[in-house]
Amino acid sequence: MQARDVLSSLTFRYIAQYVLALGAAVFALVGAFYLYLSYNAVSELGASVLEEGETLQIIYRGQDMAGVVQYIDDQAARPASHRFFYLVTDADGEKIAGNLTERPNYREFDEGSFGLELALPSLGKPVDVDFLARPVELGNGNSAIVATDYAELAGSIELVFQALVRMMAITVILGMVAGFFVAWRALNQVERLNRDISLIIRSDPSRRLSLDPDEGFIRTLAIAVNQILEQMESLMQGVRRVSDNIAHDLRTPLTRMRNDLSQLRARVAEPERGQLDGIIEECDELLSSFNALLRISALEAGSRLAGGTRVDLNALLNDVFELYEPLALERNIDFELDAPGQHVCTGEADLLFQVFANLLDNALKYTPDGGEVTVRLRPSPGADGEEEGHSIVVADSGVGIPAKERKNVFRRFYRVESSRTEQPGNGLGLSLVQAIVHYHHGTIELGSNNPGLQVRIRLP
Amino acid sequence: MNILLVEDDRQVGEFIVSELKAAGHDCVHEMDGAAGLERATDEAFDVMVIDRMMPRMDGITLLNALRESGDRTPVLVLSALGDVDDRVQGLHRGADDYLVKPFSMAELLARLEVLHRRAGASSDTRTTLSVADLSMDLLHQEVRRGGTDITLQPREYKLLEYLMRHAGQVVTRTMLLEHVWGYHFDPQTNVIDVHVSRLRQKIDRDFDEPLLATVRGAGYRLGPVVED
Repeated sequence: MQARDVLSSLTFRYIAQYVLALGAAVFALVGAFYLYLSYNAVSELGASVLEEGETLQIIYRGQDMAGVVQYIDDQAARPASHRFFYLVTDADGEKIAGNLTERPNYREFDEGSFGLELALPSLGKPVDVDFLARPVELGNGNSAIVATDYAELAGSIELVFQALVRMMAITVILGMVAGFFVAWRALNQVERLNRDISLIIRSDPSRRLSLDPDEGFIRTLAIAVNQILEQMESLMQGVRRVSDNIAHDLRTPLTRMRNDLSQLRARVAEPERGQLDGIIEECDELLSSFNALLRISALEAGSRLAGGTRVDLNALLNDVFELYEPLALERNIDFELDAPGQHVCTGEADLLFQVFANLLDNALKYTPDGGEVTVRLRPSPGADGEEEGHSIVVADSGVGIPAKERKNVFRRFYRVESSRTEQPGNGLGLSLVQAIVHYHHGTIELGSNNPGLQVRIRLP
Repeated sequence: MNILLVEDDRQVGEFIVSELKAAGHDCVHEMDGAAGLERATDEAFDVMVIDRMMPRMDGITLLNALRESGDRTPVLVLSALGDVDDRVQGLHRGADDYLVKPFSMAELLARLEVLHRRAGASSDTRTTLSVADLSMDLLHQEVRRGGTDITLQPREYKLLEYLMRHAGQVVTRTMLLEHVWGYHFDPQTNVIDVHVSRLRQKIDRDFDEPLLATVRGAGYRLGPVVED
């Protein structure tokens, strides 16, 4: 199975959409939470700067500049994380005290949208500041700047933001990968189901779908299909059993009747003898129809070919060809066998001979004098992962079979309307051919030869 | 011919017996395998016809018992089953020929004749075959009639050889398919007739006395004309 099939599958698309929607919702939620947290952090930081400025003013009012200097010196001893930066200047702007040497590049903190702007450092324009600060008037022209290291906070905010984005990306990617495998598994099951069903239709109607051990819609589907197959088979068998029983039960009395007739024939003279010959001949035809019918049933009901011998298809086709060649010559039909190479298959030679004898018999029967009948043997490339096999095509230039009749001609006793009156036959020839081909695990189909009929057989 | 028939269907058995007697043969009928085996060990027969499915002892078991006791009498097995598998099984288990029911008496008679003759001339080492003025040199694969060379296709040659080996006997179409073509199958049309008539053209057309005759309802017979 190709990845493209999985990606375009309904299951995968459904899961992908779900993962994306879920991701977007979680992202929105986490984003809002993040905004709330970082806005709070910035606001708190701003508030602490304001508070510190007020502290300086109070100290200045009570203890004058000396007190302020003393306080600032004391603060330097506090742990770094809660440390503020100070710059105290006189009216001329000369530094009196503080651990800042010059006025830093800062943005004045006030409450409002600026807080929000700072809280979103990675969205939009980066806020190009290192400090969050506020100047304070101390009196007598002296002023102070209280600052706090904002870059650190901004950095950690950004870190949290990036972590969130990465987490989201990983969640979505992992969700997609998991979705891919879920879809792949579901598709595999569907594909297996599909393969099994087509195998059952093509070759062996008595087979059933194997059931998945785990419950699920595939299992339910398989159970339903199996039930349909069950019903179909019992209907088919019912029809067959009736016709088999008729054939079987009528065969014995018919044989006796025929035997009695032939004994009677010995005791009578012409013209009764001739009449009896005709009746006996009809009995024989009936009996051979019954036999053919029972033979088809035996082939279809029994298990498929197991073992068998190596059959040289070239030799076999040569033999059939040669058997029918005089018939073609007599009617001036262009009869050709085209079988290059060496083809060996496994099977029952007698049965395969019957197949091609029936087909050539039909082809010659329905081809007008001077027409064409061709037998072609070729290697057949394995389709659907099957092994390589042999393809045999019997083509004629006769009347052909209308497309809508092609399926029916394999049915027992079915005869195309026009041939009913024109040609002898019991309508079992192609049924037998099909039964034998299926018995050999092969396939048979009819096509047009433009004009005429093409019978294509594939043997493994 | 002295024939033993082992067949459990009374009506079929009686019919075969009466037909064989009408054809001038002696026939003993036994109704089951055990009685058949007893009779076969007590008396000597030229050919035996044994049904496959029978009560008490089936045909194949009877056949095996016969062969184990060293009895080499030719045996034709009758069977209601038409499966190819069965035919092969029957032949492998020591049957000399096999016939699927229903069959025509002509077919059975022809096959019995062939079995009987074959048993008589067990080692056929002839290098020439001849029927009336027709002769076949098996070594050089040449056919002559009345001093004239006749050119035959390989299959025609095989066909004629089989007919000559069974000259004077009725040979059925099925027998020809089995022995000349080597396949056991059911021809829908009498495709064999075409082959035979082509052969007849070559060996009979330019000569006064026809040798290859069609036997109505049975098959063909090669040989000087005889009254039926």
